[in-house]
Amino acid sequence: MRGVLFALSLVLTLGLVRLLHTPIPAGQQRIPALGSFFNPFSGFWRNAEPARGPALPAEVRLPGLRGKVEVVYDDRLVPHIFAEHLEDALRVQGYVTAQHRLWQMDLAARRAAGRLSEVLGERTLELDRIARRRGLPFAAENALRGWQRSAEGMRLLEAYCAGVNTWIAQLKPADYPLEFKLLGYAPEPWSPLKTALIVENMAETLCGGENDLLSTAALQALGRETFDYLYPEWNPRQQPIVPDTGQWRGIRGTLGTTVTAPGNTQRLSARPVAEEYFRGSNNWAVAGAKTESGAAILCNDPHLTLSLPSIWFQLQLRTPEMNCYGVSLQGVPGIIIGFNEHVAWGVTNAGHDVADWYRVQWADAARTRYVVDGQEEPVQWRVETIGVRGRAPLLDSVRYTRWGPMTYDHQPDHPLHHCAFRWVTHDEPDPNEMRSFLFLNLAKTYDDYREAIAQYEAPAQNFVFATRSGEVAITVQGKLPARRYEQGRFVLDGSQQANAWPGFIPNEHLPAQRSPTRAFVFSANQHSTPPSYPYYYTSRDFDDYRGRHLYDRLTALQHANADSMASIQLDNFSQRAADALPVLLRLLDRSALNDTGKQWAAELEKWDYRYEATSTVAPLYEVWFDTCYLRTWDEMLDSSGEKQVLLLPERWRLIELLDKAPDHPFFDRRDTPQRETARDIVTDAFRRMQAFFEKNPEKRTAWSKFRPVSIRHLAQIEAFSREVEVGGHNTALNAQTRTHGPSWRVIVELGPTAVRARGVYPGGQSGNPGSRFYDDLLDTWAQGRYYDLFFLKTPEELPSAHLFTQQMLLPQ
Amino acid sequence: MKNLAFVSATTLSTGLLIAAGLPWWSTTLFGALAGWLWAQSNRQGFWGGFVGGLLLWLIFALVRDVDNEGLLSTRIGALFMGLSRWGVLGITGLLGGFLGAMGALTGYRARVWWRVK
Repeated sequence: MRGVLFALSLVLTLGLVRLLHTPIPAGQQRIPALGSFFNPFSGFWRNAEPARGPALPAEVRLPGLRGKVEVVYDDRLVPHIFAEHLEDALRVQGYVTAQHRLWQMDLAARRAAGRLSEVLGERTLELDRIARRRGLPFAAENALRGWQRSAEGMRLLEAYCAGVNTWIAQLKPADYPLEFKLLGYAPEPWSPLKTALIVENMAETLCGGENDLLSTAALQALGRETFDYLYPEWNPRQQPIVPDTGQWRGIRGTLGTTVTAPGNTQRLSARPVAEEYFRGSNNWAVAGAKTESGAAILCNDPHLTLSLPSIWFQLQLRTPEMNCYGVSLQGVPGIIIGFNEHVAWGVTNAGHDVADWYRVQWADAARTRYVVDGQEEPVQWRVETIGVRGRAPLLDSVRYTRWGPMTYDHQPDHPLHHCAFRWVTHDEPDPNEMRSFLFLNLAKTYDDYREAIAQYEAPAQNFVFATRSGEVAITVQGKLPARRYEQGRFVLDGSQQANAWPGFIPNEHLPAQRSPTRAFVFSANQHSTPPSYPYYYTSRDFDDYRGRHLYDRLTALQHANADSMASIQLDNFSQRAADALPVLLRLLDRSALNDTGKQWAAELEKWDYRYEATSTVAPLYEVWFDTCYLRTWDEMLDSSGEKQVLLLPERWRLIELLDKAPDHPFFDRRDTPQRETARDIVTDAFRRMQAFFEKNPEKRTAWSKFRPVSIRHLAQIEAFSREVEVGGHNTALNAQTRTHGPSWRVIVELGPTAVRARGVYPGGQSGNPGSRFYDDLLDTWAQGRYYDLFFLKTPEELPSAHLFTQQMLLPQ
Repeated sequence: MKNLAFVSATTLSTGLLIAAGLPWWSTTLFGALAGWLWAQSNRQGFWGGFVGGLLLWLIFALVRDVDNEGLLSTRIGALFMGLSRWGVLGITGLLGGFLGAMGALTGYRARVWWRVK
C-alpha cells in the first residue's frame, strides 16, 4: 500500500512537470509551456530588465578583434562604437545589433527565406510558399554569389556575421530574447546568406509590386482609347524629382514596341480596395543660399510599416578613416541613412517597376518545356523544402524559365498561373553592391558619393546628398530596365525573346541633379523626371501630392533652420484635399441635404485641408472623398464592391474628371436605371457619408481618434504593440496611415564648424518588450519632437549626464 | 506545524541557493528533499512544499519585477487574458507552489515506503 501511494505521488509529480513542460495548442496560436515560460529562473522573468536599462558587462573578450574597441551607450541606448579598424567596427556592430535585436533579425531572414513555418507551423505555410516561389531565397543566393566576387567586401561582411555569432554563441536558453521563449525555438547562427535575405526582404517591400495584371485586364475590358483616357501615366500638375534642363538632349531611349500577352487574363485578379496602396518617404537637401546659417541642411523621413521592435537601429561608427552616425538595418553592416563629418545622405524609394510577368507558351501538357521564338526549352526545377512545425515538411517543385520562376503554377485558378516572374532582384548583382552604403559611410565629397552608389542596384532609391562645403545633390540610383514604350506595364508575351528587357539604363543616363540654382533637391516618391526623359518607365504608384507640396514649401523657404525643416516634416497639409474639396463642394447639390448636412457642408467649406490630430472635419472629408472614388469606379470592382478586378484609376485623375468632365459616362452607375453625373455621385456620396456618421456617432470625432495609428509587434502580439493618436495623412508630408508612417525623422545641419543633427523614430533601441528602451522614443515621436543626436569625436565627449554605460571590447 | 515550517524552509532555502542554474522543474527535487527530511504527514508534505515552492518562485520573480518596475509583467499579463501585474506574479507563485507541494509529498511518501521496506 505504501509503495502504491509513493508510486501514485511520483506519477502525479511527473505528470505535473510534463503538463507544465508542454505548449498548449489554442487554435492557430500556441500558448507556451507554462512551467518553462513562467518560471523565474529561465522563463520570461529573465527578460525583465532592470528599469534603468540592461546590465552590460564593462569588459568583453571578442574573438577576431584586431584591436580594442570602446562602446559608449548614451541614455537612449545608442551605441557609439570607437574602433581602430573598420573591420573591428563592423564586427562590433554585428555584436551589439544581435545583443539588442536578435529575434527581429531572425524573423526578417526567415520571412525572406520562406522559413517561418518551421517555427510558426501551418498558418504561415502559404506565405512561405509564395516567398520561395517569388524566388526570394534564389535571389539571396545569387546576391551572395555576386558579393563573393569581392574579397574585401566579404571580409567585412564576415566580420559583421562573426560579431553576431559571438553574441549568439554565449547565450544560454535562459538568456534568449523573449519571443524565442514565447514561440518555443532557439536562435541559429547568422551567415552572409542571411544578410542577403534581409536585403531581399527589403527589396520585396520596396520594389516587388506592380500593376501588370490589373492593367492588362483593364486594357482588354475597356479598349485602348478608354484605357488611355482613364489611366494617363503623367499627371501634368506633378513636380518631378529631376527637371529637364537639357541634360538628356541627344540620348536615345530604347525604341520599338513589345507584345502584350494574348487575351488570357481572366477577370479573376482581385485586389482588396479597402486600403489605399501606400509606401512613401520624403527627403530633401537645401543649399546654404536658403538657410539661416548658410550651411546645407539635409532631411529624410522614410515611411514604412511601423513596428515594434522598430525597423531601424541607431548607432555611431568611429574608425581612423571615418566617423559616421545614422540608422542601420538589423543584419546589414554599415549605416543606411546617416551623416559623417563631411557629408550627409538619405533615401526614398524610387518606385520604378522592376518586376514583370511573362505569359509562357507551353510545349507539352506536363509543362516541362516551353517555347521561345519557335524553339523548345526545358524548364529548370528548383525543389524547395519547407519545414513545418508539427508535421512533415512540404516539398515544392518550382519551375524556372529563362524569365524567372513560375510563381503561381501551383494554383490552377490563379490568373498568373501560366506566367513567369521577371524581377531585377533575381539577377546576380555587382560585387560592390553590398558595400554601397559602407562607401557612403566613408564619403567625403560629391565624387565619393557618386562612386559609392554607382554599383547600387535594388531596391532603386532616390539618394539625396549634401556636403559641408554646401553642395546638394540627388540621384535616382538602381538597376532600371531600359524599357521600350509601355514594356512591362502589362503582362508580356513570353514566347518572344524580343520582349526581354533590352538592357539597363546606363548610370550616366540615370536622373540626377547637382547643386541646382533653385538651391534645393528633393524627392517624395514621385515621378523621377518629366515625360521628356528619353527612357520609358512605369510604377505601381508614383506619389502625386507630397512632392508638389514639398516643392512649394522649399521654393518659398527662406532662412531655413532645423525648426523650419521640422515643420515641413510635420506638415499635415494635404494637397489632394486642397485640389479635391473645392471641386466636390461645387458639385454638391445642397438642396438635397437636410439641416445637418448643410451644416457639415459649411464646416467642410472652412476646412484648411490639414489632417491635424484635432480636426473633426478631416474624417468627414475622408469618408466623402473615398465614397466618391469607389462609387464612381463601380465598373472596376467585383459585385461585392470590396475587390478591384480592373485597375482603379488614380485619384488625381478622378479629381480631374470631376472638375472637367462631370458628364462622363463613367459617372453613371451600373446598378441604377437612371443616368448619373458627377453631381449625383458627389451628392449621393455626401449623404452616404452623413448616414455613416449618424449610424456610428462615436466616429464623429477628432482625426487622430477616427484613424488611430497602430504600431504592431512584429509577431502581431497585441500586448507588445502600441496605439498612438497622431495627425497626418498619406497625401500630406507627415505621411501617416493606420500602419505606415515616418519611421525615422532626421534633420542634419552641415555647419562649417560642426555637424549637428536631430532625429527620432517611433520605438526604441531595444527589441526586448521587458526593457524601458523598447518604446522610450515613441511618445517623443508622436508629439512631433526630436532628440539632439550625440555625434561624438571621442568617447569622453558624451556629457556624463547622458552616459548610460561604457563597454570595452578586447581581442581574445 | 513545526515540521510543516521546516519543509517550507528547506524547500525555499535549497532553492534560493542553487535553483538559479538548474532546470525549472528542480523545484520538485527541493520539495522532495524537504519532504523526506521533515514531513510527518501527507498534509505537512504537501502544504509545506507548497509554501516553500510558492515563496521560492515568488521571491525570484518579485526581485526581477521590482527591479523592472512591473514593465514586463504588465505586458505578459495583457498577453494572458488581461491579467494584472499581480495576477502574473500570482500564477508564477502558484506554479512554484504546486511543484514544491508535489515534490515534498513524493519525498514524504518515498521515506515512508523506504522505512517500511
